[in-house]
Amino acid sequence: MVNDGAPDMEVVAQVLGGDGEAFGILIRRYEPGLLRFATRMLGNPDAAADAVAESLVRAYRHLAQCRDPGRLRSWLYRITGNRCRSHLARRHTNDISLSDAPPLADGSDTWAVLERSEQVALVERALAALPAEKREAFVLKHVEGMSYEEMATVTGARIPTLKMRVHRAREALLAALEEVVR
Amino acid sequence: MSWKLVLALALVARPAPVIAQSGNGTTRLTGRVPAAALPAIDSIIATAAAESLPTEPLVQKALEGSAKNIPADRLVNGVRRGLLQLRQARAILTRAVPGQSPPEGHVVAVAAALARGLSGPIVERLLTVAPNEPPGPALHAAADLVAHHFDPDSAADLLVEAHNKGLRGVRLLDVAVAADHELQRPGGRTPSEALAHVRAMLPNVRPGRP
Amino acid sequence: MSPIDPRLQEALDGERDPGDLPADLREAHARLIAATQMLKATPPVSVAWRVMAEIRENPGRVQSDGPARRLIRWLGRPRAFTVRLRPVWTLALAAGLVTVLLLPWSNGGPTPGVAQGIASFVGHFPGARSVEVVGSFNDWSRGTLHLNDDNGDGIWHAKAVLPAGQHEYMFVVDGERWVPDPLAGRYVDDGFGAGQQNSLLIVRPVSSQP
Repeated sequence: MVNDGAPDMEVVAQVLGGDGEAFGILIRRYEPGLLRFATRMLGNPDAAADAVAESLVRAYRHLAQCRDPGRLRSWLYRITGNRCRSHLARRHTNDISLSDAPPLADGSDTWAVLERSEQVALVERALAALPAEKREAFVLKHVEGMSYEEMATVTGARIPTLKMRVHRAREALLAALEEVVR
Repeated sequence: MSWKLVLALALVARPAPVIAQSGNGTTRLTGRVPAAALPAIDSIIATAAAESLPTEPLVQKALEGSAKNIPADRLVNGVRRGLLQLRQARAILTRAVPGQSPPEGHVVAVAAALARGLSGPIVERLLTVAPNEPPGPALHAAADLVAHHFDPDSAADLLVEAHNKGLRGVRLLDVAVAADHELQRPGGRTPSEALAHVRAMLPNVRPGRP
Repeated sequence: MSPIDPRLQEALDGERDPGDLPADLREAHARLIAATQMLKATPPVSVAWRVMAEIRENPGRVQSDGPARRLIRWLGRPRAFTVRLRPVWTLALAAGLVTVLLLPWSNGGPTPGVAQGIASFVGHFPGARSVEVVGSFNDWSRGTLHLNDDNGDGIWHAKAVLPAGQHEYMFVVDGERWVPDPLAGRYVDDGFGAGQQNSLLIVRPVSSQP
């Protein structure tokens, strides 16, 4: 019987040994980050919950195919990233609907005086405007705190390509944020 | 299901847009397109006809917008955008296959690919592989792959290789389907891995559904 | 969008101390870091119960189904949907479900010509009073291709003989809600400036079927 603090490899071994309930440890461990990632990718908490739930069920069903349980996190993010791309493809657009987002603040306001919720909405809107590949790269790097090496494992893209995407995403976000300050 | 309805549809089903070039098509628009938009749309379609561009896609776009109750100004802009895409399509075809006047069907297919977001360079690259074959299937296959977040250049590489191994026409669509299936396999394949798996299968990609 | 100073990129990549940056770049660095902090909020939801319920209900390994069998299982499973009211051209209900299949024509209907194919439209619209397909193959005309729900189970279907090639279409539910086919697999911007998408169907000629 493993406890909540057991390393991923031990928990995976326990699950593969027939203890399906042990998978709950992995869910509790990775669900917050996967939901955060999926929400930023899809812009919709319901769709993100669906994508993450599908991904975790898929991960459980095929846990034996995780070639390196020591890199379980990368594997889970890769599955979730693929599910998000499928959701985006089914939604037939790479863009996120902003119909529920509050309106942009008056450009005469400065960043410092905007209400916190408006600031969050501005940032979310700027992120949502990015193409999916750049949005994914930015979120993995700056929100999920991954190294470029881990991002390469998750996305399959080369490190120079990922750096370019992150750099372009930063440029777009800063430009969007600076529009408010002017 | 009423077979009479299906038969009626089959009988009135239009030929592929590349074939139907009945004048400028505006007689079909009368009574369907808002009167405020009809002169501008008629002018756009006449311009296309004068430039020897296909007009059926523009007629279809006008009918579509009217059915959707699109406001007149946006309706006109939509048809105008279609004209610009047809012009761009013919320019790409002329560059890719110089010395030939591109068939109207090829212009329509390239315009459709551009509307789906394929870039000019990728379109041009695929056109040069088989300049005398209908480009629609290869371009749609490429657009399918790009829509599923495969790298455009890698997607084009795969389709070129598939063509070189004897796959033609709608079979290229099967290549795109296979790549997406590989991407969705359990265990989380990366796009590169998915393409590599499909490349290894060529030309024995499973035939079937679009 | 202007390129960012490489020193700022290096600082954001952890390759340079932000304290070494000039004042304007330090400000930009701080602004971007603050923005990313806002994105780190974790959604206050959990899917653990759903996942564990699925695992307990189906503890064995799931067989790998083809798309058609997955569709059939999906159709048979009761589901709850979150309904969001949206502008009329976007998905009004999340319950739309369509697969376009090329099926053998088994019961004496019209025989497609060599340049035609058979399209089968299937949609899951429980509670709908009418569902029809409107698209480029019927000049975007209403009232020509109705789907039927013979047994009242919310699954609407119709078949049609269409010219081989590309067709754009949408469903119209209850005469007023225009819904793109969520499972069409291919979409194209309708070009009217509001970011709305048409479903895209590629009909294969019957002669190409194995």
